Amino acid sequence: MRFVGGSGIGRLARRLARDYDVYAPREVAGALVLQRLADGDPPAWNDHRLAEPLKSLWLQPGKILAQWTPQGPQPGPRPRPRAVFGAKQCDLRALTILDRVLRDHEHKEPAWCDARERNLVVAGDCTGACDSCFCTMLGGQPWPQAEFDLCLGPVEGGYLVEAGSARGEQLAAELEDARPATAEQVAARDRRRQEVLQRVRAQNERWRTVDPTDKTVEKNLRTRIWGKLAATCVECNACNLACPTCHCFLLFARQTPAGAVRVSLWDSCFHAGYARMAGGGTPRLQLTERFKNHYYHKFVSFPRNWGVTACSGCGRCVDACMGRIDKRQCLHRLETEWMPSEVLEEIV
Amino acid sequence: MASTFVPIPARLEQVIVETPTIRTFVLRPQQPIPFRAGQFVQLEAPGVGEAPFTPSSSPKEPERLEITVLRTGFVTEALHRLQPGATVGVRGPFGKGYPVQHFQGQQVLVIGGGVGLAPLRSLLYHLFDDLGQVARVSILYGARTPQELCFRRQHADWQQLAKVDFTATIDRPAPGWDGPVGLVTELVAKTDVDIARACAVSCGPEVMLRFVTWKLLDLGFPPERIFLSMNRNMSCGMGLCGRCNIGPHYLCKDGPDMCYAEIKDIPYALG
Repeated sequence: MRFVGGSGIGRLARRLARDYDVYAPREVAGALVLQRLADGDPPAWNDHRLAEPLKSLWLQPGKILAQWTPQGPQPGPRPRPRAVFGAKQCDLRALTILDRVLRDHEHKEPAWCDARERNLVVAGDCTGACDSCFCTMLGGQPWPQAEFDLCLGPVEGGYLVEAGSARGEQLAAELEDARPATAEQVAARDRRRQEVLQRVRAQNERWRTVDPTDKTVEKNLRTRIWGKLAATCVECNACNLACPTCHCFLLFARQTPAGAVRVSLWDSCFHAGYARMAGGGTPRLQLTERFKNHYYHKFVSFPRNWGVTACSGCGRCVDACMGRIDKRQCLHRLETEWMPSEVLEEIV
Repeated sequence: MASTFVPIPARLEQVIVETPTIRTFVLRPQQPIPFRAGQFVQLEAPGVGEAPFTPSSSPKEPERLEITVLRTGFVTEALHRLQPGATVGVRGPFGKGYPVQHFQGQQVLVIGGGVGLAPLRSLLYHLFDDLGQVARVSILYGARTPQELCFRRQHADWQQLAKVDFTATIDRPAPGWDGPVGLVTELVAKTDVDIARACAVSCGPEVMLRFVTWKLLDLGFPPERIFLSMNRNMSCGMGLCGRCNIGPHYLCKDGPDMCYAEIKDIPYALG
C-alpha cells in the first residue's frame, strides 16, 4: 500500500490517458455522472456512488455484438479501452454479478468480456453515503475489496493507493512522489471506513429483515401484496435503467456500408411489450406481475441460477423512482406483511 | 468458433404452401446445422428481423432445413414474401430439444394445434426413424378448419405406419369434412393410450396448452410425463437477454420444451 499526495491523482489520470479513454465523476444538473475527462483535468472525488452505473460504459447501449458480410464474420469495431475513476464497492460487486451471466457462462457476451478484460478501474472508498445506500443489507461494505486495479482511500493530505491487479501494481509502482503508507495512515483509513459502515447500517436499521431476501420474496409469490407495493409505479423503467446489475437487452440487426451488424440496446422488463410475441400474446400483461418478476428475478431466480443475488444495494433504483418506491421498504413489507391466509389459489 | 450472434447464410430452395397462412421454407444453409428435434433456430429475414422457429424437418438432415412458418407478425410477413433463391440467415440451434430419452419404450401421445404440428413433425421424424424405441405414437391434431390443417398431404402416410395412429379434428363442422369435430382436448379426453406407460408432448397456442394440460392431469398423467412447447419471446437464444423467462427458467436455453412438473408451481406459466 502506498501513499500519494492529492495532486498525484491528476498525474495518474494523465498517465492513464496515454492508453485509455479516461472517465471520471462530474456533477451535471445536481447528479454525479461519469464523463470523459478532458486532458489535464484532475478527476473529482466522489464521496459515494454516482447516479450512473458502470454498465453505461461496460454495456454501452447501441454497442455492436457482431459484424458480418456475405463472406462471413468480420472483426467488429474495438473501442479504445476505458479507465474509470469513482467506482465504489457496489459498482464492483455489480460487475461480478454480471460476469456470471455475460462471461462465466457457456455463451459469452463478447463486448462485455472485452470490456472486462481491457477496461481499468480506479475504485475508491465511500467517504459518505446516499440516504438510499443499502449495501450492508446485502452483506456488502462501503469500501472495495476486489475487482479493482487501483483503490483510493482518502487520508490527511492525499490518498492511500492499493493495487488489486498486476496492471494496478505496475501503475502504483510508477506513481511519482508516492511513498509507503504508514501504519497511522492505514489506521485512519480503517477508522473512517468503519464510520461510514456504521452510518449505512444505521440508516437501514428500520428496514432490517430476518429472513434472507430470496425466502422473503418467494413466500409472497402468490399473495396480493404486489399490487400494494406497485401502487405508485408508473412503468417508467428508471429503476432498471439505473440498476448496475440489470442487463436485459434488445437485439436487432442493421445494414451498414461495412456489412451487417448486430446491435444491442438496453431493455427493461417493466415494459408491457417487453416479452410480447408475434401475434400479440404477452406474458405478465399486468403491471403487478412485471413488478413481482423484477423482485423474483433479482432475489430468487438469479441466485438460484447463478449463485448470487442480483442486487448490490446501491440504492439507485430508490433515487430514480418517481413513484417513491423504495426497494428496502418493499423487502421489509414483504416480510412483515406476509399473511399465509392471503395466499391465493393459482389458476393453473 | 463463429460468433453465435452471426447468422449462417442459407439459400431458400423451395416454398411449400401448407395452408392459406402457413408456408414451409426449405433452406440449404452454407454449412450443415446439426440440431436435435425440438431445438430452435433464429431465422432472419434480412433487413427486417429474426424470429425463433423449431425446424419441422428431420434432425437427420442438418444440411437441409425445413422451417414451417405461420404468418403472424412483421418478420413472418417478410418471410412469406420471399421467393426461392432468396438468402436468409440462421442462428443456432438453441435450447435443449425434446427429452426423447424419456420416450424409450413409452407410448408417446403427440398433441398439436395449428402450426404447433411443425416442431412436432421434427420429433415425429425422429421417432419414425426407429419405431422400435417406442411402444406407440398416437398423434392428435386440431385446427380451426380443414384448410388450416398443416402437412395434410402426409397425414395418410403417417396413419399407415405400424405403431402410429393419427387423428385430426376441426373446430366446427365444414363441408366435405367427415372427421371429428371439436377442440383437440376432446380427442385427448378419448385417448386410449395406456397412461401408466405414456408420455404426452404438446405444442400449440398457450390457451390450448393450458386446456390440454388440465385434461391430461384429469386423465391421470403425472406432471413429470407432460412436456409442453412453451411460447415466449426468445431473442438472443443463449440465456443472456432475459426476456423469455418462466420463473427461473430461460426458455431459450432450458426449453423451449418444458416438463410441466418444472413449471407448474410458477404463477401464470400457462397464461
